[in-house]
Amino acid sequence: MPGSIIRVEHLSKTYLSKERKKGNRKKKLVQALDDVSLAINDGETFGLLGPNGAGKTTLIKCLTTLLLPSSGGAWINGYDVLRQEDMVRASIGCMLMGDRGLYWKLTGRENLDYFGALYHVPREVRVKRIEDLVTLLKLGDFIDRTVETYSAGQRMILAFAKALINDAPILILDEPTVTMDVPTARELRHIVKELNRQGKTILYTTHLMHEAEELCNRVAIIDHGKIIDLGTTAALKASISTEDVVELEGIFPEATVGRMRAVPGIRDVTVTPMDSGITKLNVACENSRMMLPRIIDAVTGNGATIQSIKPKEVTLEDVFIAKTGRTLSVDTQVLGEREARPRGG
Amino acid sequence: MTHRSSENGRRVLAAAETVGRGLGLGRPGLRASADVVWTVFVARLKIISRYKGAILLESFLPVFFAALPILLGTAVAGSEQNAANNFFQNTSSAGQGTSQYRLYMLLGSSTFMVVSLMLWLIGYWVRREQETGTLESIYLAPAKRLHILAGVTSYSLVRSLSAFLVAMVIGSLLFGVNPFDGNLLASIGYLVLGIPALWGLSFIFGALIMRVKEANSVIQLIQWVVPFFMGVYFPVTMFPPLMRIVAMTFPPTLMNDAMRSSLLNISSLYGPGYIVLGLMFMAAWITPLLGYEFFGLMERRIRRNEGVGQY
Repeated sequence: MPGSIIRVEHLSKTYLSKERKKGNRKKKLVQALDDVSLAINDGETFGLLGPNGAGKTTLIKCLTTLLLPSSGGAWINGYDVLRQEDMVRASIGCMLMGDRGLYWKLTGRENLDYFGALYHVPREVRVKRIEDLVTLLKLGDFIDRTVETYSAGQRMILAFAKALINDAPILILDEPTVTMDVPTARELRHIVKELNRQGKTILYTTHLMHEAEELCNRVAIIDHGKIIDLGTTAALKASISTEDVVELEGIFPEATVGRMRAVPGIRDVTVTPMDSGITKLNVACENSRMMLPRIIDAVTGNGATIQSIKPKEVTLEDVFIAKTGRTLSVDTQVLGEREARPRGG
Repeated sequence: MTHRSSENGRRVLAAAETVGRGLGLGRPGLRASADVVWTVFVARLKIISRYKGAILLESFLPVFFAALPILLGTAVAGSEQNAANNFFQNTSSAGQGTSQYRLYMLLGSSTFMVVSLMLWLIGYWVRREQETGTLESIYLAPAKRLHILAGVTSYSLVRSLSAFLVAMVIGSLLFGVNPFDGNLLASIGYLVLGIPALWGLSFIFGALIMRVKEANSVIQLIQWVVPFFMGVYFPVTMFPPLMRIVAMTFPPTLMNDAMRSSLLNISSLYGPGYIVLGLMFMAAWITPLLGYEFFGLMERRIRRNEGVGQY
């Protein structure tokens, strides 16, 4: 049983935010983190999920010593975040603000060399490490150009290389695939998995559920500064899986839907019209395996045509909806309008 | 007391219960710290060298700053000789009689250029790093802030000294003055001795900019207030008593006066040479300490609230 390499106990963070409304300036106390406790095991990839403004970035900023918590404590790699700041920083490779945090008038190589020095990596080791990163992340085409000439994706991948320059045991990645194209993002996720396989502990924040499902051993769902739930992706999904859903696509006359609703064991049928006259039916039932023949019986005939039929799996998005009562995208929008917090939460 | 020690004990225990996996490739130590200073210094030089002509252009500024009062003085007095006589008469009554008003102005404006560049480069560095996000990247790294600041201040020192020397050469040729008539070496020595105090002031200036998140208005203000209190074009003894005291406790005024007295062979406003030297050593020791302490204080205050990254 591995021990925890990151430990957070009753961490809270409040700060004063200035609000301007109709010429009046008001100071408002914002509770960005509320009594957060969690432990991240050595060698695991841990996901922090939540909409913008949920508190993900604030938590990471407290862990990386950028912010001082209002109360509570955190320990990383055997060091106290409040009292051994330099050792905590030396323990972490961090990609926090996407492609920001790079010097645009320096080349990619000069940027890596600069930050390598700031992480106390000896010069001769740094040169070798930069070459390794150029190969690993395929930076060869642009590493010797000034960053101002890079595309957004190239800047992101350089920022990722910067996080790896000190080869720290802990890697903190805050929404690393934002602005990356699909193949580059896939490549980055592949590298993250490989780094984890080599023994690095990875704290990964995202609002993309498929990323979390693909990468993380365990995830914590954070909302309004509180950890709402924490566990393995399978356990979280199982915790809300009280019924099975079978998804059908095809052409279904209205009478068919009515007939299905009357079948004993079927709890609900939701109808979603799609393109070209195709309709999607989500059939909620107690036991999909047992019910499947009865569902097909109820649908066939009367001009109905089934194009596909499959059990619908519970996703982390469903878990988020079940725990918070909102979808991730809608919540992000509402929260952004309601309360302006620091970037990314 | 007991509560505090039990809290300390609990924190130490919690740290010990967390797995430790070393520091990767990082090797902190004296060599690594020196490497930070050098790397930051070189990076700043590389960045400015990629803005074509920046250093050369700023070297011309003091010449223009000096030309303004020189030409104004000549215009008001009617001729250069009259201007020189008037200047001698007025500065004599202030205890610093000299007729070399062109060198007086050139030295004053070149020294102000050094002061301005030192303050401006640090203040603007903080603001620019805040805006581009690199300040947060720096704060994520284990390098000590003092070492990073040392790299940046070394760069600003090299840049401002180069500007000073180039301005003095160009200005001397244009205004027909010979700085070698006075003790140029001692003057430069006073300039170097005055630099640590300027570092201290620049730390205070940088911290204020980090806090108020605005550089331009502060820089605009400083462009006028600092030369005024330094007595760039006149001896500060011309001020009313209270203002004179304020001006004379300002370290750049001391530096300017010390340089001026050695280059123009006139007496210092502060007294004999050993007093000037003593005061300069004191300023070189106390101001950086105060400045760094103020920077740290402001930094902690910001981290307690919204963090350095918010701009």
